[in-house]
Amino acid sequence: MSSRRSRISEEEINELISKLQSLVPESRRRGSNRASATKLLKETCNYIKSLQQEVDDLSDRLSDLMAGMDNNSAQADIIRSLLSS
Amino acid sequence: MHVTKEFKKKTFLKQFLLGLHVSNSISNPISIEQRKNSIKLSADLAMAFARGRTHWTHALITKLGQKEENKSTLKGILGRRYQILMARYSCPLLYQKVQRRKKGVRSYRFSYNAQKRRSALKGSCVRVSPSVVARNLENRRSKVLKRLVPGGELLKGSSLLSEVLDYVISLKAQVDMMKSLWRATQVSSSSNVELIPKCSIAKEGSFLHYSK
Repeated sequence: MSSRRSRISEEEINELISKLQSLVPESRRRGSNRASATKLLKETCNYIKSLQQEVDDLSDRLSDLMAGMDNNSAQADIIRSLLSS
Repeated sequence: MHVTKEFKKKTFLKQFLLGLHVSNSISNPISIEQRKNSIKLSADLAMAFARGRTHWTHALITKLGQKEENKSTLKGILGRRYQILMARYSCPLLYQKVQRRKKGVRSYRFSYNAQKRRSALKGSCVRVSPSVVARNLENRRSKVLKRLVPGGELLKGSSLLSEVLDYVISLKAQVDMMKSLWRATQVSSSSNVELIPKCSIAKEGSFLHYSK
């Protein structure tokens, strides 16, 4: 029973790893067989850090842009981006 | 994929709007630093709400809600749900579990390093099997990962991986949304023209107050 369970979770883990590999940039360059788990983990860590840094940057830039606006224009911009995307 | 991007976009923007609206109505006028923090807070909350109920979204909302400066904004957005949410996730037992586990890891590492030092002093090379080294490296990396992903400290194995995957997808979506918002804001600040017809604005939500 336990061996069956571990087999299932190993399949799950492999699937998750391949999905992660397809998401994270840099790890797509090498052949999918060569990427080891540790490398993938490291790339994922770096990717998450860079995304969080980007959010920080964008918040900065948005606050600069919105500084001169009142509430209504900010709302209009948000809706405009919703309609255009 | 668990998340369909279309659904997420609308919810994200609605929640982002609401967050900004609430935090602006609480403290106005505000400095650039405060505005940046309120934008970041609204964006993170919007990302968590758009994703729905997962481990990391709850952890993120709880973590954000524990900071003093965020409490009033969070209360404004969540309303009555705020009390329920905060009560559920400030359970001390959860953190005791984490502390006990941390102690175990430390003592294991200490004995392992001591063993390495002892064999190094003897003059012989350290015979550590490659699988142990690989596992050690992997443990270190997943520790960093656990710190990055909200709520990751309490997970391991495949559940940690699936949370990481989910978190990465949502982060990417958040970044994309904020980029498109930034582009839209740039366009409007350079040209002060109302491009949207009024009927489509009215459809978007009743919490928008347009005064002309």
